[in-house]
Amino acid sequence: MVDVDRLLLAIDTSTEQAGLALYDGAWLSELSWSAGRNQTATLLRQLDHLLQINRLAARQLKAVAVTLGPGSFNGLRVGMSVAKGLCYGLGIPLVGIMTLDVLAYPHTVRRHPIRAFVPAGRGRVVYADYHHRGGQWVRESVLRTVRGNQLAEGLTETTVLAGALDVELAERLAGHPRVILPPPSWRLLRPGWLAELAFQRWQSGAVDRLETLEPVYVHAGVAEVAASVELPESR
Amino acid sequence: MIILGIETSCDETSAAVVRDGRWVLSNVIRSQVDLHERYGGIVPELASRRHVTTIIPTIDLALEQGEVSPSDIDAIAVTEGPGLAGSLLVGINVAKTLAYVWEKPLVPVNHLEGHIYANWLTLPGQAEVEPPVFPLVCLIVSGGHTELILMRGHGDYALLGRTLDDAAGEAFDKGARVLGLGFPGGPAIQRASEQGRPGRYPLPRAWLGDSYDFSFSGLKTALLRAVEQYRRPAQGNRRSASRQPFPEYEPPVYAPNMPVADLAAEYQEAIVEVLVEKTARAARDYRAAMVLLAGGVAANTLLRRRLKEAVSVPVRYPPTILCTDNAAMIAGAAYYLYQRGVTAGLDLDVQAQLPLVTRTLIRA
Ligand SMILES: [Zn+2]
Repeated sequence: MVDVDRLLLAIDTSTEQAGLALYDGAWLSELSWSAGRNQTATLLRQLDHLLQINRLAARQLKAVAVTLGPGSFNGLRVGMSVAKGLCYGLGIPLVGIMTLDVLAYPHTVRRHPIRAFVPAGRGRVVYADYHHRGGQWVRESVLRTVRGNQLAEGLTETTVLAGALDVELAERLAGHPRVILPPPSWRLLRPGWLAELAFQRWQSGAVDRLETLEPVYVHAGVAEVAASVELPESR
Repeated sequence: MIILGIETSCDETSAAVVRDGRWVLSNVIRSQVDLHERYGGIVPELASRRHVTTIIPTIDLALEQGEVSPSDIDAIAVTEGPGLAGSLLVGINVAKTLAYVWEKPLVPVNHLEGHIYANWLTLPGQAEVEPPVFPLVCLIVSGGHTELILMRGHGDYALLGRTLDDAAGEAFDKGARVLGLGFPGGPAIQRASEQGRPGRYPLPRAWLGDSYDFSFSGLKTALLRAVEQYRRPAQGNRRSASRQPFPEYEPPVYAPNMPVADLAAEYQEAIVEVLVEKTARAARDYRAAMVLLAGGVAANTLLRRRLKEAVSVPVRYPPTILCTDNAAMIAGAAYYLYQRGVTAGLDLDVQAQLPLVTRTLIRA
């Protein structure tokens, strides 16, 4: 039985692979598809489909989560616009989660540092580092942009890489002595992980404002500083 | 019938509530001029970003000022194009989502059609505006558009002519940048012209034979040539722009004796003369009962005056607040579209290059 009093919808359109999840703290239903650049045309149709196959209606949603990026600028704006429309239209809270936090989240079961990344265009990726310190997982405050093949450069500890890679680059990075490369399905962004992270934040009372929440826009070659955050462990 | 309109095609975030395509109950416009000023023009990426934060408060205020609740709304209208893709998608996705959760029909509106239908609107507290009469010729002039349209009835458009390069408003913006007059260019050039006289430094008019098309890029090039002799090297306090994602506009430096006002006056004259001549000729050729102006450049007082002098039928233009981009015109146009059964589904997409006219017309 779905607990409709705690029903959260998660929306991710950071990259060309889009995802949706419904989550109530125990039950989960996910949808993931290749949206390409057609997020505007596909997102609401897929949401309607996901609700229908679970015999739910949009008005039963109690909270909405959305990825903040970094990622495709227009993709992020589509997710944010639909998320804000839902929250305003239904009078429910909005929770924004950094895309890199979602990618890092499933790997917090280990104690190794994590480097999470998303494509930044022209063969580049933008990444953030996560460390387990003082009993807490902390995201370092600087987001860096490098070429994909430079992802493992400068690693001083054995580090988990989390993010989508093409096969050739994955093979090269897997051979690096300080890299732990989980299998692809663990490195791709699953909407369920976004839903779970956001659910915890929502239940703790930390929600965002519709008037001010906006995506994280990272330009190649321009260093961006984001506030460091504490990440809950995935267990 | 009460329609909530949403417009985010360029650099204004707007939401409005309009009754029966005629009566504006509210029309909230969040201008971004402050944001783009220092770049000397609209930066599309920054415009798109601003829409993401302003859209919800804008809609909320439009409902509040219109004194309507979601249950009072009969349909939601949104600009589907033409415009900036990253900006359009914010309005389209919010409009679709609200139509979905509030279970309202969604009406997609062509931005140009919205500009035309601004002429049907009456603002709160103003005397009733009589609906325009057909057939009419409408000149849409703005930063993005210069189109001359024949309209024989609701939704019945024929494109008579359009710009082959820069839009008229774009020409004003570029001219103002060349002259160092700031952004937006239309009002800046109009202001500077007041102290000058046209004709002292002649600039070319592109007539393009007897076609109704326009061309303004040659005018800008001629202006660049005219100011070249006054140009002085920049002051040298240039900040390193290479690592800035959006380089700022640095106004050119000219000798103090440059005749800025005379050049601005001639530049404005050159744009207005061509717009007026072709519009007046189209009105005669197609026996228009009325001539309409629409779009941001319709606020130009010289254009309004000259057009009235040039045609024998009534010339109408909306109040300035409805000339520049606004959502009331979108909600207004949507009323007539909805009467004809035009609605969209959840897969409505951005149409950055959407044309107004698909029907070709045999010349009169
Ligand atoms: Zn416009």
